[in-house]
Amino acid sequence: MPMTISNKNEQRDLFRGALEMMILRSLQREPMHGYALVQHIKQRSNELLQVEEGSLYPALQRMLREGLLKAEWETSATNRRVRTYRITPAGKKHLEREMSSFERMLEGINLVLSPLKS
Amino acid sequence: MKWLQQLFTRRKIFSDLSEEIQQHLDEKTEALMAEGMSREEAVRAAKREFGNVTRMQERGREAWMWPLAESLWADAKFAFRQLYKNLGFALTAILTLALGIGATTAIFSLVNAVLLRPLPFPEQNRLMWLAQQDHSLPGVAPEALSYPDYFDWRAQNRTFSGMASYTGGGVTLESDGETQRLDAQEVSSNFFQVLSAAPMLGRDFRWEDEKPGNRAVMLSYSLWQSHFGSAKDIAGKTIRMDGHSYTVAGVMPKGFQFPMENPGPELWKSIADDAEGKDPATSQRGFDNLEVIGRLKPGITAEQAKSDLSLIAGNLARQYPDNNKQYSSALVEPELQHMTGDTRPALRVLFGAVTLVLLIVCANVSGLLLARGSRRSPEFALRAAIGATPAAILRQLLVESIMLSLCGGVAGVALAYGLVHESVNLMPLDVPRIQDASIDGAVLLFDLGVSLATGLLFGVLPAWRMARSAPAKALREGTRSVMGGRGQNRLQSGLVIAQTAIGLVLLVSSGLLIRSFARIMNVDPGFDPKRVLTARLRVPIDGSRHGQNLQFYQELLARISSLPGVQSTSAGWPAPMSQSSATVSFSIEGRPIAKGDEPSESLGLAMPGYFESMRIPLLAGRTFGPQDGLKGAPVAIVNHAFANKYFPGENPLGKHIQPGIGDDVFEHPLREIVGVIGNIKRKGLTAGEEPQYFLPYAQAMITNPYLVIRSSGDPLLLQSEIRATVHDLDKSVPVYQVVTLEDYISKSTAQPRFQTLLLTGFAAIALVLAAIGLYGLLSYMVVQRTLEIGLRMALGAQRSDVLSMIVRRGVALALIGVGTGLVIAALITRLLSGMLFGIPPTDPVTFAATAVLLLLVGIAASCVPAYRAARMDPMKTLREQ
Repeated sequence: MPMTISNKNEQRDLFRGALEMMILRSLQREPMHGYALVQHIKQRSNELLQVEEGSLYPALQRMLREGLLKAEWETSATNRRVRTYRITPAGKKHLEREMSSFERMLEGINLVLSPLKS
Repeated sequence: MKWLQQLFTRRKIFSDLSEEIQQHLDEKTEALMAEGMSREEAVRAAKREFGNVTRMQERGREAWMWPLAESLWADAKFAFRQLYKNLGFALTAILTLALGIGATTAIFSLVNAVLLRPLPFPEQNRLMWLAQQDHSLPGVAPEALSYPDYFDWRAQNRTFSGMASYTGGGVTLESDGETQRLDAQEVSSNFFQVLSAAPMLGRDFRWEDEKPGNRAVMLSYSLWQSHFGSAKDIAGKTIRMDGHSYTVAGVMPKGFQFPMENPGPELWKSIADDAEGKDPATSQRGFDNLEVIGRLKPGITAEQAKSDLSLIAGNLARQYPDNNKQYSSALVEPELQHMTGDTRPALRVLFGAVTLVLLIVCANVSGLLLARGSRRSPEFALRAAIGATPAAILRQLLVESIMLSLCGGVAGVALAYGLVHESVNLMPLDVPRIQDASIDGAVLLFDLGVSLATGLLFGVLPAWRMARSAPAKALREGTRSVMGGRGQNRLQSGLVIAQTAIGLVLLVSSGLLIRSFARIMNVDPGFDPKRVLTARLRVPIDGSRHGQNLQFYQELLARISSLPGVQSTSAGWPAPMSQSSATVSFSIEGRPIAKGDEPSESLGLAMPGYFESMRIPLLAGRTFGPQDGLKGAPVAIVNHAFANKYFPGENPLGKHIQPGIGDDVFEHPLREIVGVIGNIKRKGLTAGEEPQYFLPYAQAMITNPYLVIRSSGDPLLLQSEIRATVHDLDKSVPVYQVVTLEDYISKSTAQPRFQTLLLTGFAAIALVLAAIGLYGLLSYMVVQRTLEIGLRMALGAQRSDVLSMIVRRGVALALIGVGTGLVIAALITRLLSGMLFGIPPTDPVTFAATAVLLLLVGIAASCVPAYRAARMDPMKTLREQ
């Protein structure tokens, strides 16, 4: 479960696991820089997720440190110096693991919740 | 090494992060402006949606840090600033800690050198000390081996890869007409091999070196340097010792020493000379004088070896009942354990005592921290209010106390170094390896460990208290209070009581040792040791030269007695407390006894005038005179204990005994007892009454006697004249072991003196610390209760009321501490009983005196703060508050 990862820092925001998954998932489609990543997540969630834009960066740093991502300074299509993030093989594996455990969790929650609904 | 790399690339990572965030904000701003916002609005909106930029940067950086380590570092920096700001407090605490940690470290360095350090030989845990058990005595009674026994053990055992013999003895080294007396060991040919040591020059001893005619010698490094000028070609050369030629086999490397005695042997010679002659020592099964060390085969236990050797010993006892009847089993003990066995209890007591000192130190510093903590409570209340968790405050306080204790530890190492170096001269030389005590890696590690443990121990209580106290309460209580926190006072009082109690235990212990030592020094040794010089000579003794030998001594004594300042002189053997001794069996005329079952007692030799010069009282009969010479009738003198043991209720004079010893002239004659003398302390002042018998030197020339010279002034001033007199008479006779009788006695009391001195030192430290602790608490209390005292005085309390109020409190604390201490002391002083002489471990005089002393100190420590309180001006106090 994403919320129980051992690193102490991670306990500070409960959505981090989810944020990480979203970042990895987005970067799996195509490499992006921070600002684009935020815009992408906002759009894809139909603005349902109110991400505090800045909170992306600590998450990116942690993932860099864990080797899930790589970053490189590049020049963007709009001729802007941007730092582009790419997902690494380790990041892909991590994403798979997280996704499957996330799905199992959802399944479990659904099972518990369903009798009440009926 | 990933973390190391990170450390260097961190700066880059952080600047990337800042730049990236800035880019993000710019991009966002531009996007917003494109939607039609003004620049100003856009910048604000971008920042709003981004969140707290600094915070995000910080959290981004945190991903790269080790949170615990870095915040500890921050704590340490803060703690250092705190301590630096309160230098007085910090120095007091550090000095106190240095005292405790330094003393503990110093004692540990002794324990380490003597008990813990392994022997300096490869796989030293396989080295075993071996002896035979004397079953005629109760308990464990080791007996040395004779050559034939040793040869049989060596050949027949199945559990040792090697078994070597060694036995001490001096040699006279001759070169260029000069002679020099050296400590030497006579060792079996496999001696060095068993120890896994090899010569640095030349060859090891060979099997043939044990055979007659193959006298060989191995030099120590120091002798090779000092006497042979480090000659590289020494091996194979011939040197002269004791009138014989020896081939130099080789030189042992620097630092090699065995046995671990002080002084160590300067050379090792092969046993060839014991194998020579008509009736060589190597064939006398009754001549038990060998120490034996064995190296176990790999995988063999001491127990297995013991049963193996006991089997052999049992067979020998059956085969040779005359000599071996009572030695039917073997003793096997790891060499290291055997060597240090005697000193272990004493060192344990010292280590225990120094640990108590350390505990007092902890209590003391804990008290200091508590008092200081209450002054700092506003600071912590503030920190708590701005978000520091109790855990963070606890951590920071513990970091502070550990910093204190580490500083104390550093100063302690310096102190320990000084102590160990300064006290080398005080150390008892007969404790093996104690001279090797030093501050090495193990000691430093110990010091570090003790410092950390001490820091936690004294820090945890105050820190826990501070972190626990509610911030709001602390803010309220901070500066003004009529009565300080009750709980805190209780805690501090508890600490003072603990210090007093432990201090009392130490004082009682040292008191007992001091009294015991005084008793030892008051023991009548049975002779008068004042102003007596002793010396040994090496005059050849063999069958044909008895007359010459005797004549030499007679002439020499005559010349010495005419020297100015000499009151009387004679010669005898052994000098009391000189560690020379012989125990010889004898039979009593008219009391037939089976061979092998004869009684055996300590034997001495004396020339005419010996008992008079030593001032040993004659109780009955006569002493030896000129008539007891080579041609005289065989005689003996016994001491009082001997007479009581063997002739109870009878007159021993005129009875005959037949000692199993003699020389070539007097082989084993019946000897008439002609005198009874007083008992002499031969082994040490604390030894019991020991039966002893003496033969005239002329009638039992088995070893050279000690000259004893009683002088009217300082006996050591006679040294050079004695040497000159001997030299005049025969310059080939070496003079050695020139020592006063008082030196022998003081050496024999070195260990109790050392223990007493150390423990008294510890007790003194404890007393001072306990007094400081009490003084500190009361002073603190006075300050804390200033308002209360002011009010009381304003309401009419007299100065004497205030004075007695404070003193009463101090005395109450001291009383509780002393009471607790007395109970604890009564329970644990019996651990000292092995070190006490003539004093029971619960000696009421010591207990009472110590209690009174500590109470008086308590009162004295209370008076100063009480006096200060009583002098307070009530009006001024109230206004200030």
